[in-house]
Amino acid sequence: MERWVNLSGAGKSAAPASARTAALVEFTLPKLLIVPALALIGLFVVFPLVWSVVMSFTNYSMLGVTARKWGFIGLKNYIWVLTDPDFQAAIANSFIFTIVSALIGQALLGLALAVVMRMKGPEGWVGAATKVLKVIAGALVFVAWIIPEVVAGYCWAAAMSRGGLFTAMFGINYNFYVRHPLQAMIIANIWRGTAFSMILFMAALESIPNYIYEAAEVDGATPWQRFRYVTFPLISNALLVDFILITVWTFGLFTLIFTLIGPQMDYMWTLYVYVLATGRMGPPWTGPGPLSTAAAAADIMFVIVLALITGYLYALRRLRRWA
Amino acid sequence: MGRRFPLSIIPVWAFLVFVIWYFALPLVWMVVTAFNPNAYSVAFEIPKHPSLANFLKLAKPVSGVVPYQWIVNSVIISLATAGLTTAVSLGAAFVLTRFSFRGQGAMLTAFVIFRLLPALLIALPLLILFRMWGLLDNYGALILALSALILPFTLMIAESYFRAIPITYEEAAMIDGCTKVGAFLRVTLPLAAPGLATIFLLAFVIAWSQFVLPLFLIRTPSLFPASVGIYFFYGQYGKVDYGKIAAFSLIYSIPVIVVYFVIQKYLRKGIAGLVAR
Repeated sequence: MERWVNLSGAGKSAAPASARTAALVEFTLPKLLIVPALALIGLFVVFPLVWSVVMSFTNYSMLGVTARKWGFIGLKNYIWVLTDPDFQAAIANSFIFTIVSALIGQALLGLALAVVMRMKGPEGWVGAATKVLKVIAGALVFVAWIIPEVVAGYCWAAAMSRGGLFTAMFGINYNFYVRHPLQAMIIANIWRGTAFSMILFMAALESIPNYIYEAAEVDGATPWQRFRYVTFPLISNALLVDFILITVWTFGLFTLIFTLIGPQMDYMWTLYVYVLATGRMGPPWTGPGPLSTAAAAADIMFVIVLALITGYLYALRRLRRWA
Repeated sequence: MGRRFPLSIIPVWAFLVFVIWYFALPLVWMVVTAFNPNAYSVAFEIPKHPSLANFLKLAKPVSGVVPYQWIVNSVIISLATAGLTTAVSLGAAFVLTRFSFRGQGAMLTAFVIFRLLPALLIALPLLILFRMWGLLDNYGALILALSALILPFTLMIAESYFRAIPITYEEAAMIDGCTKVGAFLRVTLPLAAPGLATIFLLAFVIAWSQFVLPLFLIRTPSLFPASVGIYFFYGQYGKVDYGKIAAFSLIYSIPVIVVYFVIQKYLRKGIAGLVAR
């Protein structure tokens, strides 16, 4: 009977002390099961992010005097980073890389693949051959997406070096990724990430019921009109979700780029941060830090990434209100 | 054969062949070179005498470390991380789906944000903190950090999984005299077992593939996981044995490919869920 009272939540204050203890044991203590998760994220994600901001106002470094005796130096790190031509180039290249490889490359190729995968093939051996090609292509696109990023990066580096499969096919007799890092990054990232867009768009296309197309056909819509006025509006939600997610992922990419082109600080903001953090700058370093300068650069990018994620959350909320 | 060959299929074939060429290209190098015992340049070469020599050579030390040690390290790190992440996600998802409390919505939003943050943004301050606390090269600390990085993923999956299991089953068990936790453990948990297995496997492969965190936090070559081991391989001076690197990369990739093909259906459903909502 006591349990029944607790379950309904009524008459709690009137219950005897033993019942209140029982309620505590049953309904309050279990909530503590969330504590490990919060502690883990608080200690190893939230606190480091805050600490990164604190360190960006100091002159902390990995080696030397300021490794032990560091102090606050105000905005010097931020001023150094923002006026550093390498950082400006890194940001510009990060944006070009993201727009071309994700928003154009991955999304378009993913959409094309999704449309082809969903097409009904002809009968007979032609259809069977098409199906085989589809299965092989689908599996390879999927594997490209899941193999460890380190392996993906180094395999592309091999393909793009002198005598590699990629360079040989285009008659290039130099290391492509050394002379054209940005192009190499774009080619590798389209390869790496197309699977996500493909799977997302396939799901979106599948959710469109066939009778809508049949109705459009009865009304005399051309294939282009069917795509423009039926398919496109119905997958626009998927397009929005896809664009934002692949943008955030590509913009934060480190491993693939690092293993492909090495620590070139002016090609990607993540590489810039890495180079400063590990002290691999080419000319002698004259700025503050440099570990604290790396933190300042990372915090500037954190703000940009956060803005992108906020855009995503906002878009999701709007979609949900729609549905 | 009365039917004519449909010419309209030719652009489709051309497109698919192009895709196959593009996506197979870098993988072909790895697979072929792994069986080439004399690959001392990065150039592509079909071996005249293919053999398993590279896989045997991996048992001999490189700069004092046997490469297979890195695989063992990765197994230890990934198993511990996956176990911890699954257990912690389970507890948190139970609370998030079976109770309602203030700040719940904000908490879920925060998890979405953490899930999308680039790992580098956390790796950099962790390097500073671990150095201050003397935790560099410490597996326990690395496993905790990796778990924290992966947790937002697995937690959201566990949350959506438990939310999909009707709470009425538990209520029925409670009317029959079960406690709230007992009802969850006896009724919902068995129903969610396949979901938990998926979460464990996913956490395992994410930890297995992680590169940034161990690159920043592990300094001693004998303690490297496989991902950083490959990087170490390439960084060697002198004669780099690409056959060995390719063989190692192949061994390192296989568990990931196997796991993803096992959980593929679940993964597709998860991605489809992004649209349906």
